[in-house]
Amino acid sequence: MNFVGLFQALDTSQSINAKRDALIEFIRHADVLESAIAVQALTGRLEKKRLKPSLLKYTANQAFVETPWLFEECYATVGDLSETLAILFANPQAKPQTNAPILQQWIEHQTTLAGLKPEVLADALLAQLQEFSKDEAFLFLKLSSGGFRVGVSKGLVHEAIARAIDMDRAVIEERLMGPFVADRKWLQRLQEPVTQNELDARPLPFLLANPITDEEIAALNPQDTLVEYKWDGIRAQLIKTDQTIRLWSRGDQDITEQFPDIVDSAITLPSPMILDGEILAGTPGQLQSFNQLQTRLNRKRITQSLLNTHPAFFKAYDLLRFQGEDMRDQPLAARKAVLETITIQQSPVLCPQRVAEIAAMREAARDLGAEGVMIKDRQSTYGAGRKAGYWWKWKLDPMTADCVLIYAQAGHGRRANLHSDYTLACWNDQDELVPVAKAYSGLTDVELKAMDQWIRKHTIQKFGPVRQVEPLQVFEIGFEGIAASTRHKSGIALRFPRILRWRQDVGPKDADGLAHFHALMTNHHAL
Amino acid sequence: MVSKKSRHRDPLVIRTPEGLYCPKAQAHIDPWRSVDCALITHAHADHARAGSKDYHCALGGEGLLKQRLGDQQITPHAYGDSFTRGDVQISFHPAGHVLGSAQIRLDDGDSVWVITGDYKRDPDPTCKAFEPVPCDVLITEATFALPIYRWPSMDQTMDQLFAWWDHHVRHQRTPVLLCYSLGKAQRMMAEIQRRSDRSVKVHGAVATLNRLYEQQGIDLCPWERASETNRGVSSDLVIAPPQVAGSSFLKRFHPTELAMASGWMQVRGVRRRASIHQGFVVSDHADWNGLIQTVQESQATQVYATHGETRVLTRYLNEHLDIAADRLETAFGIEEGVDQ
Repeated sequence: MNFVGLFQALDTSQSINAKRDALIEFIRHADVLESAIAVQALTGRLEKKRLKPSLLKYTANQAFVETPWLFEECYATVGDLSETLAILFANPQAKPQTNAPILQQWIEHQTTLAGLKPEVLADALLAQLQEFSKDEAFLFLKLSSGGFRVGVSKGLVHEAIARAIDMDRAVIEERLMGPFVADRKWLQRLQEPVTQNELDARPLPFLLANPITDEEIAALNPQDTLVEYKWDGIRAQLIKTDQTIRLWSRGDQDITEQFPDIVDSAITLPSPMILDGEILAGTPGQLQSFNQLQTRLNRKRITQSLLNTHPAFFKAYDLLRFQGEDMRDQPLAARKAVLETITIQQSPVLCPQRVAEIAAMREAARDLGAEGVMIKDRQSTYGAGRKAGYWWKWKLDPMTADCVLIYAQAGHGRRANLHSDYTLACWNDQDELVPVAKAYSGLTDVELKAMDQWIRKHTIQKFGPVRQVEPLQVFEIGFEGIAASTRHKSGIALRFPRILRWRQDVGPKDADGLAHFHALMTNHHAL
Repeated sequence: MVSKKSRHRDPLVIRTPEGLYCPKAQAHIDPWRSVDCALITHAHADHARAGSKDYHCALGGEGLLKQRLGDQQITPHAYGDSFTRGDVQISFHPAGHVLGSAQIRLDDGDSVWVITGDYKRDPDPTCKAFEPVPCDVLITEATFALPIYRWPSMDQTMDQLFAWWDHHVRHQRTPVLLCYSLGKAQRMMAEIQRRSDRSVKVHGAVATLNRLYEQQGIDLCPWERASETNRGVSSDLVIAPPQVAGSSFLKRFHPTELAMASGWMQVRGVRRRASIHQGFVVSDHADWNGLIQTVQESQATQVYATHGETRVLTRYLNEHLDIAADRLETAFGIEEGVDQ
């Protein structure tokens, strides 16, 4: 079986067991280089965007040079750029090759294509697509342009690998941390013993928190917990060996190069050591908004002036390895005790006697620019993933506002052809509606369907895939933060906006005005 | 040849609250309300409604029409034969959509209008192939008027279907093919019959229509009606209308694997939203190329599009093929429903 065969098996089955079985069979029997690249692709490790979406669009427009609008109609109906091109340009009569390995060849071909001038690339890509079946063309494009998803979780892939080579899943997950080398030895390497130096240099699976429920709060023994603020930054491990300092994000990216200032400040720290913590924007005395970090992540070159305008630092809250020793089996309180001997920014810790103290700390979080609190079991070891009963997060209630739907657009993937992406607006001083948020989720499938029909019937104008609708529907949105912005017409930018509920009980005139947002900004520590 | 100057003077077909209407012949075409005289293109529910006095249809389609509408006054006409009402010659011509489906040709001596009803250009062993009819004005459907709709060959689809069928039987799951009970189900069964000695179990709604097809001499694969006593995994394919998804009918064959045969299956998101595991792209409508080919072969200088992607088709005809085209709102088709 090759990757196309695997994809077909995964895509046409909705049972987890069938998917797992297909993966195990593939890992056992596929060409080992094919499986290596497939694992990269399925776990989001493939180097992204060899062919940018803009190049795919350019290619389509070359083919539809007389009728660009017709391509836009197709794209709006399909909802996925790669799939649109695959349907339009693949050979409908071609049979997919589902056995011989293809990924290595595809990647090389994509790299060659990426080096061509756009006009030449468009012709070459079209010629290539015409040789493919629809599934092959779809996968080829998906793999080249990033964002490949096939309804298989990382965890399921890890489990399948573990079963295929008869090893423990936790061991596999640990050994798969860090950069993944896709070569013919990847499976063999997973089964080999690990050296001390490798252990010291390799990132570890993150322990994640579960949201706390009201029942869990009621059942909590505060004396058994340690409480910290939940900081709004990039969760990362700082890995220091005698030779190197690296930053490894929770999204499994090496982000060291984006934060030379943090690397510099870590030079004086002891080694070898692995810290778990948060990369935050600003300085310890003056936090800045999360958007500032986004700028750091997006820049190719980090200049001195960017370091001056967008400073960042590392706040440590756990110690995973120290001087060659794995600390994860020690209780949290013991790990904290060692961590406190290290000179690095740390998160203040509360040892509460009563739940009311935790609640008070949570209330104080917003003014500090934090998202809430983390409640951790004092005796807990450092597990992998979302272990129940280890760490909880108790987030602040989101800020809310009632907004009016003004534009709707069809979604992607499962929501293709269903108008699920909303632009919501509030009233300004001149009684005009100005857009404040784009929100994608939060409605039930039934509500989405009903709204889709409503949108189709109440469209005022179409701009390609976007429909302007009569401003009649009101939604309550929730968001985690609010900041002034010069890029938005409304002058504000919301963090994580999403729809909380469909306010069928109120009319558009009852929606909030900009003044409501300005009040939120001044009341809650404008970052 | 017909005169091209006369077309705007006096439209032969207009839209009334009851549906498309030819005043000179005093006849409606696929009316959605009760009228005196109804010319019917085919028996699907959005084109054939009960309650009119007189029905006319193509010979071969009257059985289906009776089954759908009950006992009505129905006059069948052989394909190509014409009869006269008012000063208008009326004739039915094969549309290739389902058994007995027809395009309707109206000729008042001054101009020729053709109403296609639903149609396809791909071969189908259960009905007569579409025949192009030259005309001045063509009233066409546009269900799949987007270039993304290009139908694969039936050979390829049937290979896929058999592989999928065998795979799930091997894994002890009942393969269930959801498709429209009038037309698509019989087409799939005729294609199975041409290529194999496989047999199927069918839902009651399909069984009734199968008998009508067989009475017209259509060769279907061996089938039996899935009865209450059929329980457990079936190695026969089960063919049922899409409405059974999630019903107790399917529970009988548990565990099941659902597939759907429809033109809508061309788009992955549509299939996944319908919670269908496997889609087979088979449509009884014309694909993009089929629609354009039909418009061109008709030689019409004016085209009206009645349902589906009418906006796209008329814009393309106006701007790129230099054929005058307009939309004509009707009650045919369903914007995002299941393919017929």
